[in-house]
Amino acid sequence: MVNSKVLEVRNLLLHYSTVRGVVKAVDGINFEVSKGETLAIVGESGSGKSSTALAIMRILPRNVAAYGGEVWFKDLDIMKIDEEEFRRKVRVEGISMVFQGAMNSLNPVIRIEDQVAEPLIVNMKFKRDEAVSEAHEALKLVGLDPAIGRRYAHELSGGMKQRVLIAMSLVAKPSIIILDEPTSALDVITQANIMNLLKRLKEELGFTYLFITHDLGLASELADRVAVMYAGKIVEIGSCEDVYIHTKHPYTKMLLDSVPTLREDKHPAFIPGAPPDLVKPPTGCSFHPRCPFIVRGKCDVETPPMLYAGEGHNASCWLLEKESG
Amino acid sequence: MLVAGEGEWMNTSENIVELDDVRVYFPVRRFLSVAGYVRAVDGVSVVINRGETLALVGESGSGKTTLGKSTIGLVKPTSGKVLFDGVNIAELDEKQLKKLRRKAGVIFQDPYSSINPGFTVYRAVEEPLVINRIGDSKERRERVFRALSDVKLNPPEFFASKYPHMLSGGQRQRVAIARAIISNPEFIVADEPVTMLDASIRVEILLLLREIQQKHGLTILYITHDMATAKYFSDRLAVMYAGNIVEVGPTKLVLKDPKHPYTQALIEAVPEPDPRNRLGLRKVVPGEPPNPANPPSGCKFHPRCPQFIKGKCDLQQPNSLKLADGREVSCFLYDRGP
Repeated sequence: MVNSKVLEVRNLLLHYSTVRGVVKAVDGINFEVSKGETLAIVGESGSGKSSTALAIMRILPRNVAAYGGEVWFKDLDIMKIDEEEFRRKVRVEGISMVFQGAMNSLNPVIRIEDQVAEPLIVNMKFKRDEAVSEAHEALKLVGLDPAIGRRYAHELSGGMKQRVLIAMSLVAKPSIIILDEPTSALDVITQANIMNLLKRLKEELGFTYLFITHDLGLASELADRVAVMYAGKIVEIGSCEDVYIHTKHPYTKMLLDSVPTLREDKHPAFIPGAPPDLVKPPTGCSFHPRCPFIVRGKCDVETPPMLYAGEGHNASCWLLEKESG
Repeated sequence: MLVAGEGEWMNTSENIVELDDVRVYFPVRRFLSVAGYVRAVDGVSVVINRGETLALVGESGSGKTTLGKSTIGLVKPTSGKVLFDGVNIAELDEKQLKKLRRKAGVIFQDPYSSINPGFTVYRAVEEPLVINRIGDSKERRERVFRALSDVKLNPPEFFASKYPHMLSGGQRQRVAIARAIISNPEFIVADEPVTMLDASIRVEILLLLREIQQKHGLTILYITHDMATAKYFSDRLAVMYAGNIVEVGPTKLVLKDPKHPYTQALIEAVPEPDPRNRLGLRKVVPGEPPNPANPPSGCKFHPRCPQFIKGKCDLQQPNSLKLADGREVSCFLYDRGP
């Protein structure tokens, strides 16, 4: 059990400075991912879910105002190591990432197999033919004919390009793959194809994913555990069943209610108002201006901590404090 | 018939829009010659009844946006007839077409690019009236404020002086709606109006659109890739694949008991926030939509269809077949032949 945690994030913080002031994109979040497990981070745009991934991978824009916290990868706090060690231990064979919309950033003049093989040659000192045969294995894993390796990006469809990206992310056999909206540019049938692939890789080969998405439906298809983000903070985290069925945070509940469902008949609702301005977030709980259960003098003053909502299930809402007495 | 005067048309037709075998082909040019045609819309016949919301659902590249544009004369069909209010659009000159377009409004997908960033909300909403020389400045002012309060940008005086960058995505889309309804249209083409918005506010905008529809008796063509919103915000549903409508009918019927294999595949692929589905593999049809410049012969879905009949589906294009429940399907599974 000791080493089953692949990733443990403690108090992660990433603030950007802009002309309008400091944007608290990621504001002290905690979570962990065990081996073979998938954690989905769900949130609307601007909630800080993509910034969380960038903070873990140390891919930072120039306007960083604050960056801190601990990120334990296996037994190493990767926030404390220097750039070269980070590159070797994390980027090369530790954590890989499939970026949002990246299928359009494949190099148009390099054959697919060479692009997939590149990290092995550059970083891991593979000989070219060894690397290419590894690349072919990776292409097979994602359900592509290795012959596709001889093609160029423009000869592939959107779904095939997305498979190539997944092949690139797993060719170096990383311990965890961060998927940042891996299907957001795809049509629904192609999306279902890619989700089937991700599920198969998880089930058959025990892949560990950190799955970032805005789509509650997609998250529930793949995730063992779900973290819901709002305004730079995790407001609820727990198993898929806990978060979707035994929901504790009003934001999670209202977000679930706002999803029009195809199979079930329920009239979708909406959350009045808009997500807060992260330069001047509301005092106290950042959801309080939109929350129907607001306790005046409490929610608008004090920020709720993560409170116990069940075994492995936490939510940051003052309502839970009342419940537990 | 055309009758002059502001917004005064004879409502002669029960169907506000009627498409009859409409094709829209775009030439693919290679150097100086035409190498082929992209068949964006490839033989569509459909009617839009007055007062209804027709959802046009399809994947990207299926031709739904082009079809939407053709209903109000924004693209010219290569062949076929488009009747708007009983009038054949192709027979109108530019001036008459302009007049006709007053009876239609358009809402686009991206509220960040569809509103001129240098215009105040007031000017953006007023613009269609100015262009069409409707009313004097006092009357226009009243109408702008009324439209702004119709879309719940209250108080209108407050929002009128704002610039788009000062508004949230949801508020911008409200401005786009106000602009679309300002000239009292009868028909609105809403092309993916909530796709760019966050989940928590999508439903709010769609409810608003429905409220405005009921208040003004509007007809809406709701173009979307999202079956789930179409379920709650449309009366009839048309499913488009590679330039053809493969199935059309009352929304509830189509979703509950889809007939066309493509509709079935589309519905099966939609994820739902329900942990019971976790890790269950979805039955997914293989492949991806065809290249519209070089579509397959026969039924365009046949290379991906799980119920493909060899020697039939790959040779002949299925005709649209009327079913007893008010549905039309283009599929040989239901065409028992003469």
